[in-house]
Amino acid sequence: MRGRTARREIAGAVRLLPAMTSASVSVPAVQPRRRGDTGRSFGWLMIAPCLAMLAANSIFPLIYAVTVAFESYQVLIPVPHRFIGLRNFERIFSDPLFWSSLGVTAWFIAGVVLLQFPVGFGLALLLNRLRRYQEMLATLLLIPTIISTSVAAFQWVQLFNYQFGPINYLLGLLHLPQPTWTADPALALPCLIFVDLWQWTPFMTLLMFAGLRSLPSSIIDAARVDGSTAWQVVWRIYLPLLRPVIGIALILRILMAFKLFDIIYVLTSGGPGTVTENLAFFTYVQGFRYFNMGYAAALSLLQLIAVAVLAKLLIRLTRRASAATAKE
Amino acid sequence: MKRSGLTLSDLLTYAALALALVVFLSPVLWMLITAVKPPHEWLTTPPILIPSELHWANFTDALVTWGGAKGLEDSLIVASLSTLLSLLLGVPAAYALGRFNTGGENLSFTVLSILFMPPVAVAIPMYLFWSALRLLDSYTALILQYTVFNLPFIAWVLKSFFEDIPRGMEESALVNGATRWRAFWQIAVPLARPAVLAVAVLAFIFSWNEFFFALILTRANVTTLPFILPVLMEGHNILWGDIAALATLAALPVVILAFALQRYLVRGLSFGTVR
Repeated sequence: MRGRTARREIAGAVRLLPAMTSASVSVPAVQPRRRGDTGRSFGWLMIAPCLAMLAANSIFPLIYAVTVAFESYQVLIPVPHRFIGLRNFERIFSDPLFWSSLGVTAWFIAGVVLLQFPVGFGLALLLNRLRRYQEMLATLLLIPTIISTSVAAFQWVQLFNYQFGPINYLLGLLHLPQPTWTADPALALPCLIFVDLWQWTPFMTLLMFAGLRSLPSSIIDAARVDGSTAWQVVWRIYLPLLRPVIGIALILRILMAFKLFDIIYVLTSGGPGTVTENLAFFTYVQGFRYFNMGYAAALSLLQLIAVAVLAKLLIRLTRRASAATAKE
Repeated sequence: MKRSGLTLSDLLTYAALALALVVFLSPVLWMLITAVKPPHEWLTTPPILIPSELHWANFTDALVTWGGAKGLEDSLIVASLSTLLSLLLGVPAAYALGRFNTGGENLSFTVLSILFMPPVAVAIPMYLFWSALRLLDSYTALILQYTVFNLPFIAWVLKSFFEDIPRGMEESALVNGATRWRAFWQIAVPLARPAVLAVAVLAFIFSWNEFFFALILTRANVTTLPFILPVLMEGHNILWGDIAALATLAALPVVILAFALQRYLVRGLSFGTVR
């Protein structure tokens, strides 16, 4: 009997999903009331300086990428650049270094989805159980996220140090092998993925925690009273209700992981060899080390398109959450 | 549901959170310890956990010998001026997007995608752009470049705040003959003040921390802290204590600001998508 009630409660909670999500993620769908043309022109007036600033700095790179991407243009070779059609793109898709850099990018994204999300969500559940000091703890955990990557990199250079680092010292105490970490071709990429995990999991935790706190406690209490286990509460209530927040958090982090550069530059510089070169770093190497401007521009163009698609997806998710609100 | 005393699951929760704190904060702690170690304790086996003395000279070395003072100054100039400019342009833009839905969904989308532009993908054209204006290695280039990345952030996050402020007060002000500018400046902005403060601090943190464009656009005139740290870390004789001191100085303002701002972190950091 109790079990059945619990199930009904959970089913009810799931049906309430659109209502709940409005508390956590929402963009009011209320259209601004039309006040004649005054509001319109005033709006454009207010946004014009901002747009002018953005245009100067984004349209120019875009035009550059679109034109140079179809040219043969190498700074070091004193030959005027010329239009070569899709040749740069053909070269990209037959370049093994492009594919391996794409693979590295994919690994970082996999790290976000498979490690950062579960760990971040788990930590948020734990934080949510605390009765006091929740915010203080969340902010303390957030320190790796908010400090500069240069500072974070210094900390990990110290910890990963082969000879004097505390990690290898502890491994030595346990008579375990002491690897060279970021200098080891097999471990360099896992090390970087771990540092990214360390830097950004707290961010995941913060977003998930905010989502959890926005859920009304009555539903969870009802489910508990009716005998659902903690596991059931997580799977049948938290996860479905938090779906919009989870979606937004994942896309935000995937967008960031996609353009990841700093930590690679300061910790491994793409090495050893090219094992930690992701797409962003590969583009940097082509443009700023080999000065293959046409090739780098073609690579840039591909990334701009990929990011635009992802950002569109993010907006659609946000809007869907708001559509759920509007139905209420 | 009332529970009395500590249950086993409570203990497990505390233990897991304590472990998380250790994992996430021990690298930070190790940096702080190194920052006050005397030179002969920087590299030892076994590593020294508690320094024999508090060697504050690391900080003066970092500031005086390794350009830390100039770094702090440059970081402060670039971060604060860029934040100021971003607010001047971004707050009115956010108001337009949030109140009048100026340009509709498409404009909002364009602004947001600029936020996520991979820096590498725009680095070469921006380098050529600033170079053509003879502004490489100048405060101006870095300030304007950071403003380009701060603006979409501020516009997007504040847009959601302005949407949430009831429009009744502004409307009655308009009915009573106030200009739209006064409705914005004297009603909407004061109501959004906590949010404006929050995005200002986050924009400041972004500009304070930024590494990539500092690497591309500057050389010797403008040397922000995130730019000099990796330079000092190159080579064989790394001065661990001095760099740790400098890294601590680079991290300190950001951490203080984050604690001062706890309440707004979520909404700001999630770009206004999680409220």
